[in-house]
Amino acid sequence: MLGNNVNYRIPRNLLFIFELMTLALMFLYYKDTLNRITVIYSLTLILLVYISNFLLLRITSGDNYIFLIVTMLVSIGVIMIYRINPELGMKQILWIGFGIILFFVTYILFKRIRGWENWFLVYAIGSVILFILTLLLGRSIKGAVNWINIGGFSIQPSEIIKILSVFLIASYYTNYDKFNKMKFGNYYLMGIMYIFVMFLFLQKDLGSVLIFLSVFIALQYVYEEDRKLVLINLSILMVSAIAGYFIFSHVQSRVHTWLNPWKYIDSKGYQITQSLFAIAEGGFFGTGLGLGYPEFIPEVHTDFIFSAICEEMGIFTGIGIIMLFLILVYRGFKIAINQKYRFYKIVALGISILFGIQSFIIFGGVLNMIPLTGITIPFVSYGGSSMLTSFIALGILQVVSEELDFDEE
Amino acid sequence: MKSNNINKEVRRIIVVLVLVCVLFVSLVVYLTYFQIFKAETVKMNSYNKRLWINEEKILRGSIIDRNGKILAYSEKDGETYRRIYNYGNLYSHIIGYSYREYGKSGLELKYNNELLNISKSAALNELRNIVAPNTEGNTLKLTIDHHLQEYSRNLLKGKKGSIVAMNPITGEIYAMVSMPDFNPSTLRENWSNIVEDENSPLLNRATSGLYQPGSTFKVITAIAAIEAGKVGEKYNCTGSTTIDGYVLSDYNKTPHGNIDLTGALVYSCNPYFAEKGVEIGKDKLEDVAERFYLNKAIPFDLTVTKSSFPNKSNMGKTDIAAASIGQGEVLVTPLHMAMIASGIANKGQIVKPILVKEIISPEGRIVGFSEIEILSEGTDAFTANEVKNMMVEVVQRGTGKNARINGVKVAGKTGTAQNPSNKDHAWFIGFAPADDPKIAIAVILEEEGASGGTAAAPIARKIILEALNTIN
Repeated sequence: MLGNNVNYRIPRNLLFIFELMTLALMFLYYKDTLNRITVIYSLTLILLVYISNFLLLRITSGDNYIFLIVTMLVSIGVIMIYRINPELGMKQILWIGFGIILFFVTYILFKRIRGWENWFLVYAIGSVILFILTLLLGRSIKGAVNWINIGGFSIQPSEIIKILSVFLIASYYTNYDKFNKMKFGNYYLMGIMYIFVMFLFLQKDLGSVLIFLSVFIALQYVYEEDRKLVLINLSILMVSAIAGYFIFSHVQSRVHTWLNPWKYIDSKGYQITQSLFAIAEGGFFGTGLGLGYPEFIPEVHTDFIFSAICEEMGIFTGIGIIMLFLILVYRGFKIAINQKYRFYKIVALGISILFGIQSFIIFGGVLNMIPLTGITIPFVSYGGSSMLTSFIALGILQVVSEELDFDEE
Repeated sequence: MKSNNINKEVRRIIVVLVLVCVLFVSLVVYLTYFQIFKAETVKMNSYNKRLWINEEKILRGSIIDRNGKILAYSEKDGETYRRIYNYGNLYSHIIGYSYREYGKSGLELKYNNELLNISKSAALNELRNIVAPNTEGNTLKLTIDHHLQEYSRNLLKGKKGSIVAMNPITGEIYAMVSMPDFNPSTLRENWSNIVEDENSPLLNRATSGLYQPGSTFKVITAIAAIEAGKVGEKYNCTGSTTIDGYVLSDYNKTPHGNIDLTGALVYSCNPYFAEKGVEIGKDKLEDVAERFYLNKAIPFDLTVTKSSFPNKSNMGKTDIAAASIGQGEVLVTPLHMAMIASGIANKGQIVKPILVKEIISPEGRIVGFSEIEILSEGTDAFTANEVKNMMVEVVQRGTGKNARINGVKVAGKTGTAQNPSNKDHAWFIGFAPADDPKIAIAVILEEEGASGGTAAAPIARKIILEALNTIN
């Protein structure tokens, strides 16, 4: 126990020092507009992160790295957001605070409550209701209709549905035999997932379409016993991807911009080329915090936060963030392999793939390595919905990392 | 059975993990690749607002000629600054232009940081802005003589071609004209015309126009012949010669009779040099050509296209013969020919050409200046002197008679280069006074359809005379 403690203390303290130093730099940068509330908020956050890491070590018998990695990610993210826009930075601090609280709440609830694997229908119906709500009440932001407004807050239901879908898939494969005995039971899950994807497509949220499909295919690949189904699924997707390209102009336009963004530099390629300028200007070590011009990129605090980080902190920090995600995903897979209960195993796997694929899609997008689809980087980008649901997912992962002792029903 | 299932499951999970790892590693690889190979080009795109952010706060420095005449300056226009080019077309290829929409060219591009007085490091700039905010850029003092530049351009008006006049000892460029040109002041209004013009007015022919040098290249062949010790024998010129079944004839097919190397150069005898070139051999020719900086990048304040001498290993005799008389695959820029003339004038030493003499800070301090630099020893002083004497005779009694000036010993060589257009390029290179060289020159009239002696030599003569009378 003592040995463990020492091991985790070093990274925890390093993170603490990193946060203090970058924060000091930011305060110096905004010294003219600095006020007491900002200082109190920031210091509270740093303290919260430190105490949480400390506390977690005491209460969990599971993985102690994932929360540490995530707090590093949120620190880099919030510093960058604060630098771009102090007001949003302050809000982001609040979101992180709520996120961490929600992490612990999730940790306790998910551990206490049993029977998650039996609520297949709840997940399915809940998701559909959320989708319909989005379509009915949805506001269009950046061309995608995926926000709804509740009591002054904009929330993105698709973020919640992502977790629900992971639960849905997990409970399906946990009760695989039961479903298999029903008529067409084999096709239930595929049918439901296709309905989800269709909803997302109607919202023009192509990034989420990719995420849902990736998670679904990966889990299907691991757990589907009817291998024919995996092949059928892949073929349908291939055909519909090609068909989608020819039928829908917004898909075509994404692909064209990806192939030659410079041709559309003053229209639909504007964002991506501005992002490339920022990354190019940063070089390996960056211009230095506050010395670049990330604000030239539209939506820099959400989808393009990675380009801003590359410009001011250099691509070494960019690679660092990619590596942090890789370790996070790796830990998640390890948790899945070590977990003995099937439902929890699948949930861990689904959440890890969710983190991995979501960050890959947006990293690759802002680099123009793959076509750009507007989604957020979990834990790094600005945004309440994304931050809170990511912390919920992390809380679940934290529970699964422990050795659970109850009988599978 | 159960454990088998679990193993299969773990194996599949690992497959997925490997796939995810591959995705992430490919991100890192791509990011690194982008930074190393693509970032530089991407950054220079004129849509990158970072290129302009500094400019809008800083008064861009002026550009003045060697005598202090203002050629370009900026003045405040409301919130931003406006760039003013005092002499329109005259400096279109030297100074170039600086526009948000079209980017930059010429010295405006190459000396952008100096003109704005900013350093390449953002951190240094930021520090300096705290200590002493920078509001005014440096002035560039050129080696150009405004009068000679204007005089030279007037001689080239209505033609296509280029003139480069320089000091053969110091490398200072006095005049550099490329025609057709354009007016940087009205670039916005005329951009599409300029870009679509088939005569490419944006091209700086002096530094980037590649031409066959024709007979002017014989000075290189002559140097190679002297160095190889193959000058003694007399040669009987019949007006043409056949090398490997390929007939090479003289301009107008005039037989020159019995001649030596001097005579061959004076009358620009093609058969002589073609056979001499084959005799000397490709290696020796290439060696001399490369000492005179062919196939090499010339360091200059503007971008210079590399001149080329064929360096294929399997060159046939006809190829060598063609190269010896400056035809075939030999390609040079006008600036380079002026440098070759300078090299012969300067006892075989090839001097680095200079365009920006001094960089002057807003307070009037000289913060940077160019020094004389010898790029290479083209040949030894003895050989250079021999060829110089031959070039003097070219002007006194040979093809370059039109460049003769009373009381001044002019050394020169004419050239008439065949090219695909069927209208020959007219060349003249030379320097004066031969024994105490003050100016070296290269003149090319593109597709002039006349010989170098009749078309280019008179222009060179006028510029040499004007330069000797006005530049001190």
